[in-house]
Amino acid sequence: MAPTDSNKSDSNKSQTKKPAVQTTGHAWDGDIQEFNNPLPNWWVWAFYLTIVFAIVYWIFFPAWPIGRDYTKGVMNDIEYTTADGKQVKTHWNTRALFEKNMREAEIEQQKYLDQLASASIEEIANDEVKSNFAYSMAKVLYADNCAACHQPGGAGVVGAYPNLADDAWLWGGSFEKIKTSIAAGRNGIMPAFSAKLTATQIDDVAEYVLSLSKHKTDVGKTARGKEIFNGTSGGCYFCHTKAGSGMESMGAANLTDSVWTLADVPAGDNLQAKKEAVKAIIQKGVNRKMPAWDERLTETQIKILAFYVHQLGGGK
Amino acid sequence: MAATSQISPQSYNYDIVKKFTIMALVWGVLGMFTGLYIALELAWPIFNFNTPEITFGRLRPVHTTLVIFGFGGSALFATSYYIVQRTCQVRLWGELMPTYTFWGWQLAVGSAAVSYMLGYTQAREYAEMVWPIDILIALTWVAYLVIYVQTLRRRSQPHIYVANWFFIAFILATAILHIVNNMAMPIGLFSLSSYSLQAGVQDAMTQWWYGHNAVGFFLTAAFLGMMYYFVPKQAGRPVYSYRLSIIHFWALIFLYMWVGAHHLHWTALPDWTSTLAATFSILLLLPSWGGMINGIMTLSGAWDRLRSDPVVRFLIVALAFYGMSTFEGPLMSLKSVNALSHYTDWTIGHVHSGALGWVAMITFGSFYHLIPRLWETTMYSTRLINTHFYLAVVGIILYISALWVAGIGQGLMWRAFDEYGNLAYTFIESVERLHLPYIMRALGGLLFVLGIFVMTYNVYMTIRKAKNEKAEFEAKIADKMATAQ
Repeated sequence: MAPTDSNKSDSNKSQTKKPAVQTTGHAWDGDIQEFNNPLPNWWVWAFYLTIVFAIVYWIFFPAWPIGRDYTKGVMNDIEYTTADGKQVKTHWNTRALFEKNMREAEIEQQKYLDQLASASIEEIANDEVKSNFAYSMAKVLYADNCAACHQPGGAGVVGAYPNLADDAWLWGGSFEKIKTSIAAGRNGIMPAFSAKLTATQIDDVAEYVLSLSKHKTDVGKTARGKEIFNGTSGGCYFCHTKAGSGMESMGAANLTDSVWTLADVPAGDNLQAKKEAVKAIIQKGVNRKMPAWDERLTETQIKILAFYVHQLGGGK
Repeated sequence: MAATSQISPQSYNYDIVKKFTIMALVWGVLGMFTGLYIALELAWPIFNFNTPEITFGRLRPVHTTLVIFGFGGSALFATSYYIVQRTCQVRLWGELMPTYTFWGWQLAVGSAAVSYMLGYTQAREYAEMVWPIDILIALTWVAYLVIYVQTLRRRSQPHIYVANWFFIAFILATAILHIVNNMAMPIGLFSLSSYSLQAGVQDAMTQWWYGHNAVGFFLTAAFLGMMYYFVPKQAGRPVYSYRLSIIHFWALIFLYMWVGAHHLHWTALPDWTSTLAATFSILLLLPSWGGMINGIMTLSGAWDRLRSDPVVRFLIVALAFYGMSTFEGPLMSLKSVNALSHYTDWTIGHVHSGALGWVAMITFGSFYHLIPRLWETTMYSTRLINTHFYLAVVGIILYISALWVAGIGQGLMWRAFDEYGNLAYTFIESVERLHLPYIMRALGGLLFVLGIFVMTYNVYMTIRKAKNEKAEFEAKIADKMATAQ
């Protein structure tokens, strides 16, 4: 870059072209001058236009504070009827606009909700309009209330939140059971056995548990583990049953179906790693809570959600 | 033409200008790179590496603080100290005080960045600094004001040049904004945490009164001051209209103070406050454009300079982006448009068309004029200035178009209903859709960062060249002295 002026020659640089408009007569730092051009006409008119726009806006909307009050705006009232039948008429404001929009949408949706309230699951599933509405609303309800734990697609998180998209159900997968789980919540408890069983015993039980889902395990250990599982020292069969197939009324998992919600057995590369995952659960136990939603959602909403979850993958 | 009794360049305080110029580039490189990194985190969250110190939440204020206060702030100190001396024809007032403003400012910016990474924040946007840093900034800023006013009072020119009005307005307003917004009660003498003086909606209002005027005075008025010196200087032309400069100056500083609440449309803020903010934002459009017109029209009659002088190109493109983002801003401040744009990436795109297009480009152009004069040489490479220019422009265009696509898409998805009156999309679906625009945004950011790397290299080589030239010159003189003997 070639500088147009150096420090030394900054001074007394004169304007070579005679400007049509006069400058203001001052020069700063040697050569900075200012023309005295008038304001561009279009600029002035555009500025006036924005002023007119602002004044019109102020007339129709709440705008200027006066003492403890403010101008409310004219010819811009909002009217609506609240859920309990009260007529509301107020000057324009964002809160009322929101209430009005929500109320109008609620009235639209109520038509469908009324139909669904009295319909059975079969009726919902077999009626195109009803099932489309149920899916449409359930998607939002699920995203707002369920997806944070059970994940957007219902896959859950191993070790924490059960998968809703497969056909293994801790508390039952029928429409009615799912509805109960959502409405009343569930408390899943697997006791800790680290104080009750020795390390060897826990190792043996884990060996046996893995054998239930057809893993190739050590014959001797498996036999000892089975004795603890089905005997009084372990007592695992109280909940998981002697066949190991679990018990819905207790939320006890089926240990024979290769579906794992707590111990991440599939992630283990070898039998030892898989066993460590099972042992950790036996030692420490687990206490899981599914909250009750009946105070937050309406009965019909819960019904719609149960329908949605039932259809996610493995409803029974 | 008024008589101009010039003082010799040696008697100006260029040392402080040089220091701030170099630090502006250092913070610029760090801050813009941080910006690129968090853009990558948004496109590919794996870049968080599960390390709290470098997650998006902590690095984002590091980015904004380094670019606004580190890069922008240091650039404003540098250029305002340069301009006030040159247009007043007097040495900067004080010796220790300017040096104090330098170290105070650098310490504030550096410690703010480190404290955010360690998790200390006030959680107020663009004012995240914890209270001890706020006090340091306040003291530094008051020193800045004193230096500036004292220098102006000692000017050897009868009139105060327009650039200095803008700088004075910026310094005064920033002092008021910073102090009022950061009023807080520390929870203990040895704790970095504090309670804000205001609560609830008043607190939010105070924050955005500050936040928007940080844009208005820090990122607009002050950089207009920069523009008013470097554009006529580099173009070698008189400023287009003195009258326009007066009108738009007063309109700008009067109107900006009202509009902060447009950041809080559709919230608990009273509707009348919202209306005033929206309408004053519309009123602000033409005064903002006054600066753009005055800058661009200064070049009228010398348009060929756009082809031949890359520095003029930086300055004029900066003004064009200034015009564009000051049009977009009032548009977005209307309640109905804001209902679509708020909380989306459109806002981020808008900020960057101002920040990259206006603030950074005007600074780059001004620096390419300033640096050879400070070190009494010419720039090392004009070709690299050109390279920088194209990297920056393509980068900005990619960046803002990506975020228009992202932001408007988000806004439309969030408000879309199906035929049953239920939301058509879940939030996560709108997030998934952002992946491609986010990659494109990161690419734009990458080009812009490469640009400032090129500039930094060019400046480094320029300063080295200046040192060599000086050494050669001194050797020549020594030689002559020796032969003369």
